[in-house]
Formats: sequence, C-alpha cells, structure tokens
Amino acid sequence: MDFLRRILGRPDNSTAVGPSNDGIQITQDSAEPARPPEPVIEPPVNGAVAANEAAPTVVADVPPPKKVEMAGTRPLPPIEPMVPGPGQRLHFGQLSDVGMARTNNQDAVLSIVASSSSNDDLPDFGLFVVADGMGGHHDGEKASALATRIVSEHVIEQIFMAMLTQRMNDPDRPTITDVLREAVQHANDIVSDRVPDGGTTVTSAVILGDLAYVVHVGDSRAYLVTPEGIEQLTRDHSLVQRLIELDQLTPEEAAEHPQRNVLYRALGQSENLDVDAITRRLGPHARLLLCSDGLWNLVTEETIRTVVQECLDPQEACKRLVDLANERGGPDNVTVILVQVPG
Amino acid sequence: MVDTQKFGRNLPDKPLGDGALQPGSVLQGRYRISGVIGVGGMGSVYQARDLRFPNVTRYVAVKEMLNLTADQSVRETMLRTFERESDMLASLSHPAVPEIYDYFSSKDRAYLVMEFINGRDLEAMIGTGGERPSVETVLQWAREMCDVLGYLHQHEPEPIIFRDVKPSNIMIDEHGRLRLVDFGIAKTFQVGQKGTMIGTEGYSAPEQYRGEASPASDVYGVGATLHHILTGRDPRLEPPFTFADRPIRDSNSDVPPALEEIIMKALAFNPTERYPSAVAMKEALDALSKPSVFTLNRGLEDQAEDGEWGQVEDDVRMLWSFQCEDEVRSSPVVHRGVLYVGAYDNNLYAVNTNDGSFRWKYATEEGISSSPAIAETENLVLFGSIDQLLYAVDTRVGHLAWTVPTKGPVQSSPAVAHGHVFFGSDDGNLYAARLAMGRIQWKWSGGVPIRSRPCIAGDSIVVGLESGEVACVDLSGQVAWRFKAKRAVTSSPVEHDGLVFFGSLDWHLYALDITRGWKVWAFRTNKPVISSPAVGDGKVFVGSVDGNLYAIDIASGRERWHFTTGGQITSSPIYANGAVYFGGIDGKVYSLDGKNGQLRWSFETKGPVPSSPTVQGDVVYIGSMDHHIYALNA
Repeated sequence: MDFLRRILGRPDNSTAVGPSNDGIQITQDSAEPARPPEPVIEPPVNGAVAANEAAPTVVADVPPPKKVEMAGTRPLPPIEPMVPGPGQRLHFGQLSDVGMARTNNQDAVLSIVASSSSNDDLPDFGLFVVADGMGGHHDGEKASALATRIVSEHVIEQIFMAMLTQRMNDPDRPTITDVLREAVQHANDIVSDRVPDGGTTVTSAVILGDLAYVVHVGDSRAYLVTPEGIEQLTRDHSLVQRLIELDQLTPEEAAEHPQRNVLYRALGQSENLDVDAITRRLGPHARLLLCSDGLWNLVTEETIRTVVQECLDPQEACKRLVDLANERGGPDNVTVILVQVPG
Repeated sequence: MVDTQKFGRNLPDKPLGDGALQPGSVLQGRYRISGVIGVGGMGSVYQARDLRFPNVTRYVAVKEMLNLTADQSVRETMLRTFERESDMLASLSHPAVPEIYDYFSSKDRAYLVMEFINGRDLEAMIGTGGERPSVETVLQWAREMCDVLGYLHQHEPEPIIFRDVKPSNIMIDEHGRLRLVDFGIAKTFQVGQKGTMIGTEGYSAPEQYRGEASPASDVYGVGATLHHILTGRDPRLEPPFTFADRPIRDSNSDVPPALEEIIMKALAFNPTERYPSAVAMKEALDALSKPSVFTLNRGLEDQAEDGEWGQVEDDVRMLWSFQCEDEVRSSPVVHRGVLYVGAYDNNLYAVNTNDGSFRWKYATEEGISSSPAIAETENLVLFGSIDQLLYAVDTRVGHLAWTVPTKGPVQSSPAVAHGHVFFGSDDGNLYAARLAMGRIQWKWSGGVPIRSRPCIAGDSIVVGLESGEVACVDLSGQVAWRFKAKRAVTSSPVEHDGLVFFGSLDWHLYALDITRGWKVWAFRTNKPVISSPAVGDGKVFVGSVDGNLYAIDIASGRERWHFTTGGQITSSPIYANGAVYFGGIDGKVYSLDGKNGQLRWSFETKGPVPSSPTVQGDVVYIGSMDHHIYALNA
C-alpha cells in the first residue's frame, strides 16, 4: 500500500493522529551529530575540484534542533484524500500445465506475497519465479526446481528478511539489483554443480511497493500489461532474437525458424552467467505477467493482453491463457503467473 | 551438432546411433575401420586402414552418410546429392583440400574415402590452454585459410561455398600446413532441431540463418575463427554476433590495429560490407606486410572519427557571447526570452537571448556559484549568494523583492514548487520559504552544509548533504528516509519514474527507490561524481571527474556508452532533442548523440566549463570560466 500512501500523503498516522500534529517539528533524525564522511575504499585523487567546492568552504555551526516559529497553519498544497478500498493489495494467479504433448512438466514456478499494514509502513512484497528446464533423464525438471528454490531462498534472506529487520537502508548493503543478480548467479552455480547435464531458464520478479525488479536468463518472459497496452520487459537470450535485433530475420520468420529454440544463455551452461536486470515502476492497474515459452510461442501478445484485461480474477486469466495454449496443440509445458497491482 | 550444444532434449542418447561401424569391420574388402574420428548429424567419420597396401600402414578417412529416411524419393535425392558433391570434391586440386580416393554406397548409407590428415584441428590447439599462437603464426594461418577458400570461391562455373568455416574444420597437419576438412556434404539435409537447446554455432554468418550463403559468408567464418584464436574467447559461449563487443586488441595487444580492422570488416553483419570473397580478404592480409599500406589504413581510421552530423566551424556554431566581469560557474536559466546567470563578480545578469544584449544586473555582496530558478507567476528569479542570502529579484526590472537570510553561504541552487522555494545553505539547513514574501515556512537541519539543489517530486523533497547523506523530507519538513553514501553528495538529485538519481564524491552514481531510499543500483565511475545527472531516452547521463560522460541504462544500471573528454567533467549534462550537452574542464562544450555517444560537435572556450548548459529550442546557453556566456547553435 505504500505507493498509495505516497500519492495520497499519509492520511493514517503522520498528520492527523501522529504524536506531533503541528507538522513542523524537526524529526529525531536531525538530532544526530554530524558525522564525518567514512573513509572510501578507493580514495579520490587530489585535484578533484568541483564547481561548488571551489568556493570557500565554511563549516557551518550546527544549530541545535529546535522548533521553527509559526506552528499550526501549513498552507502547503492540499493532499487528495483517497483511501485504498478493502482487498486492495497485491494479488496473483499462477498455473503450470504439462501441455498436450509432453509426459513431464519441466517448468517450475513459485510465488510469495507479503502484505501488511502497520506503523512501520512496510511496502507490499512479492516474489515470483518461473523456470523452464531442459535436459533428459529428468534433469530439466530438477534444474528448474532447484533454480526456483535457490533464487527464492536468496531473495527472502537478502531482501525480505532485511526488510523485516529494517536493514534495507544499511549503507553497506548491496543494491537490490545486485542482490537479485547474485540470486540467479548463485542458482547457476548450484544447478551446474548438482545437475551437470541439465539447464534452465529463470525469470523472476520482485515487487517492493510500486517498483518491480525483474531478473532473467533465457527465454521465459515478463510482460507489463497496462491500460495502454502490453510491453515485453525481458529480451530473450535466443539466437532468433539476436537475428531480429540485427535485422537479419523478421519476427514472423523467427516464429517458424528451425532454430527458434536455441538459447545462447541459460543456467547450468557456464560459470560466469550474465544476468539481465530491469527495474520498472508499476502504475495503478498495472499487471505483470511471467510465462514460459509454452505460452508465448502459441498465444500472441495481443491475445494475452485481451485476456489479462478482460479477466478481473488473475487466477481465471491464467487458466484461460493455459487453455488457449493447449487448444492450439499445447506442444510444450505452459506456465503463467499474473500479478495484479492495486489501483 | 553435438559438440556445440550441451542439451538437446530430443537428441538420441547415443549419438552414434545403432548403425555405427565397429573397429575391425571391413568395407569393400579393402578398408578396415580402426576408430572414429568424429560424429556428425548425418553419420560418422572413421579412420580406416587401406588393406590394398599390406606392407605399409596407410590410413584413410572414411566419411559415412547414413540415409535412414523412410521416403524412397527423399533417399534417392540425398544419395544423388552426396554423389554429386563427392564428384565435385574429387575434381578439386589444392594443397589444403584433402585428396579423394574412392566413393561407394549401399542401400542405406554412402561412403567417401579420402586422405587421412595426421595433425590437430585448430579447436584442439586453442582449447588446450597451452601457449597462445603468435600473431605471425595466426597471420600465416589466415592467409592459408583465405588461399584455399579463395580457390573454392573462384571455382567455375559456380563458386563453391564451404559454409562451415570454424576451428574444428581446420587442421594443421604434421608439416605445419593448414588443411580444410569436413566439406559440407549433406549439410543441406539437416533437419530443424526440436526442443530447447543451449549454445549456438558461433561462427556462422547471420544470413546463413536465413538459408543464404555466399563467399562473403565464408569470409565471416574466417573472421570469427581468427577472432576466437586471437582473443581466446569462444564465440559459442557468447551471445551470437557480438564479436565487436570483444575488441581483439583488448585481450591481445600484440595484434596490429590493421589486422584487427581486417578481421572486424570480415565480421560485418551485412554481407555487402565484408570482403566479397576470400580472395579479396587475402589481398588485404597480404598488404599488411607492406608498411605504406599499414599507415594508410591508420589514416582512414582517424578520419572516420568525425561526428555523424559533421563538424561545424566554431564561429558558425556561436550565435553570440556575453562577457561578465569574472568567472561563470553557475548554470544559466532561460525564461521568456531572457537568460539569467550568476557570476563570481557578485552579479546576477539578465541577458536577452535573441542577441545577447544586456538587460539588467543585480549585485549581491559576494560571488554567485549557484544557479538561479524562476518563479513564473510571481515574476521572480531566485538565487543564492556566498553572502549567505537567498535573493528574489523581479525578473522584469531587476529590483529586489525579498531575501532569506541564512547563517552560511548559499551554494545550493534553489528549486521552486508548490508556491515555495526550497534551498540548502552551508549553515546545514534546508529551507522552505513562501514565494509570496519570502517568509521561512520551515527549515530542516541536516547538520552539515547542503549544496545540492533539492529535487521535488510529488510530496518528496530529496537533497544531498556534504556528509554523503541524502535525505528525503516531505512537504512539511519531516524526514521520510535517509541514505548514506561514503562521501559528499554535491550532485543534485533527479527523479524519474519512482527512482531518484544522484552522484557522490565516493565515485558512484546511485539510483534509489524515492519512496523508501532503498538502493536500486549503483554505477561506479573512476573518480568523484560532482555533476548532476540528466535523464532521457531510458538512460541517465552523468559526468565524472574521471573525464568521462556516462550513459547508464535506467532499467538495468549498466553502462550503455561513455565518451572521454580531455579533462574532468563537473558540468551537469542536459538531454534535449536526442542529444546530450555538457561542458568540460578541458574548456570545451560538447554535444553527443544520446543513442550511441558519438560526438556531434564540440566548441572551444578559453577557460574550463564547470557550468551546465541550458537548451531552448535550437540554442545551447552555457557559461565558461573565461568570463563569457555563450549561445551556441544546438
């Protein structure tokens, strides 16, 4: 709900019933003594003269925190009173299906949502993972299952637990993007070690408030569906995608290409895995869709968009999308997660 | 191809198949199989002993094509093609092409008997992790490769296209000579793969994936093979067609630039931009040994560095300049045909943008290092001075409206929003003052000087502190979050789509979640970042004291490109009309193409340019420490 609060101001605790309703008290934070900068790892060289630094540096005498005059009125712009309705929280649908032609499901999927309302103002948290395994002797399903678990474990430890223990603002924390890349790289190491003949794609989305962090390797996809349209957030790590980018192949040719299933990057392939990361803000009414190629090979973007917008219930939307893939032959496993953002 | 693809869901468990010949089997009463040399999609290649020479051990290579298709007519077509290509091979005569001895077929398979080459293929030679071959050796191989391919390309009536130039198809025999093996018989019959696979061929030209092949496709294969040998980077482990991302000389400085140039030309995506055939590529390689051509090529390279939009002479670029009495470090703003800028001569100047003529000036008690802001409805220009005051001056006549006193120099540039002006002071406070009469609404104490311009996004005000902290306060002056960089944040934060970006003297450009201050990504430059970022085209642009202007992809936090200037960059870039504009301490004003960082133009002033530009329409306005304000053609 945090993003709503940001838009709406803080109707719940900070203005009306907060401990200081004059609103101009200087917060506790500012009472901290000024700390000198910590030593940097690599010292900047001398001669780094800034435009602003070039001016004489006057070290201010730090005034003690005190209340500013003229409490009471605060003629700042009015804040629209909009309160989120009941049930307005992050929710999702999820479905994984073996399809019509295969006997085993090599896809793996995992979703976690945590939503709260408290004075701590924690953002809604969502973790979603889709993995499409490959390799014989059940190596495919082993690889995708393992990757899904390892990525989730890492994210829960490094992000969700950090959120609960209020360590997200620690200066020495790695960035959220780095944490997510590490999660996939870690999964790559474990898959290579334990399922040496298997491989898998991974597409994972972490939602923190109104920001979505997507990491991905392979050809499972993430789409952003908004009232305006549908946008593919991820870029397939496939041979035909590269050929399209180089104008050597049209998307139509790619769909029929004999090598359309050739990936150049996946988990379990090599030691140093380059992981794509995409950060996007989710506006109100945004939907995030994660899927394996069993869906997008058979159902067009436009159809996906229509189904997602027509179904109010995300689980129903997932069901209809999987049914569509199966009606069209269902040659591959199909996995879909649909996340609805409140708004 | 089994060797290049690790996973094939539908590949048979035993690629040899059931029909593989066992050692000891004898074909035609003459060729006794002694082992398998290689396995391909259509059959195997065996080593066999020729029993017609009982007194000596004479080995041959026997290439087998399995013909397992049930359809009778397809089988016959395949057989005829195999025969025809065998005939063609038998008619070739080149020292690098293996000799053909015999051909025969049975009901479901066909055989070609040829010279057994005793040696190692290039894949084995470069893959063993041993000593990297010298550039001279590789150059010799390159010439021999082009020689034999050139021979094929000049074949009459039709050029022969090898189609599969790669290290594993090139052998160095016991005499050190290069030999081409595994001619692409039956390649046209390879069926489409099913199931997801990882790994690509890595050496094939883009057009070959459309089923097109020409002599230029073989040229690409030569380029790819040479690139692999010289860099040691296996293209099958990299995204396809990304050789240009791995410059040869980055991993092997022994390689002369001219050789790299030839290889990169061979690797052009578009076949028409490559050498048309191996003959032409060989000519270029042969010319390498002639020093005159060597230098000629270097000259061409330099010429190519001119901007895409071409250079315009400086006097054509400049529309006008305006001279102040001291250095201009502050950045101008333009409003309704008037440019406002502060100078170290204590004055704030108002200058007409059409011709650079003087309008008015307002003198403060000390220098002005911050940039002014405009309050449109109040007709005010607001700016801070080292004399500890924030000034509000009437834009029309240049008369003082009001001031806000602080207890330290005001080096932070003010921001105007919601009927208020927000600015920092060296006294450690962030001030919010009403535009109406300049009354202080609140001040928030950060404890250390605040020199960055506050960034106002919705109800969040984000400001950088000289302690390295970045604080977000709401419109009532209450802290929402605090973030700590390792050194001062003088760079002014910029908000875009839920993220806030700023640089720090700790060398990084940061992206934070503006709601919570959580670190989304950080990009490390090689020196402090004082410049404030600009956003455009999905990228953040920022200058660094390391002399580079960086373009960072917002979504991933990865570098898209950088441009190196001749000195530090403290000026903040501006993105407008697809281009990036900024000043350099090297005295130049730069304009780059926002897409790729190519230089559009540069303009030389007579002093360092820490001032940031402002762009209005087709004109860039920027100040220089040579005391001038310049209006330049954008």
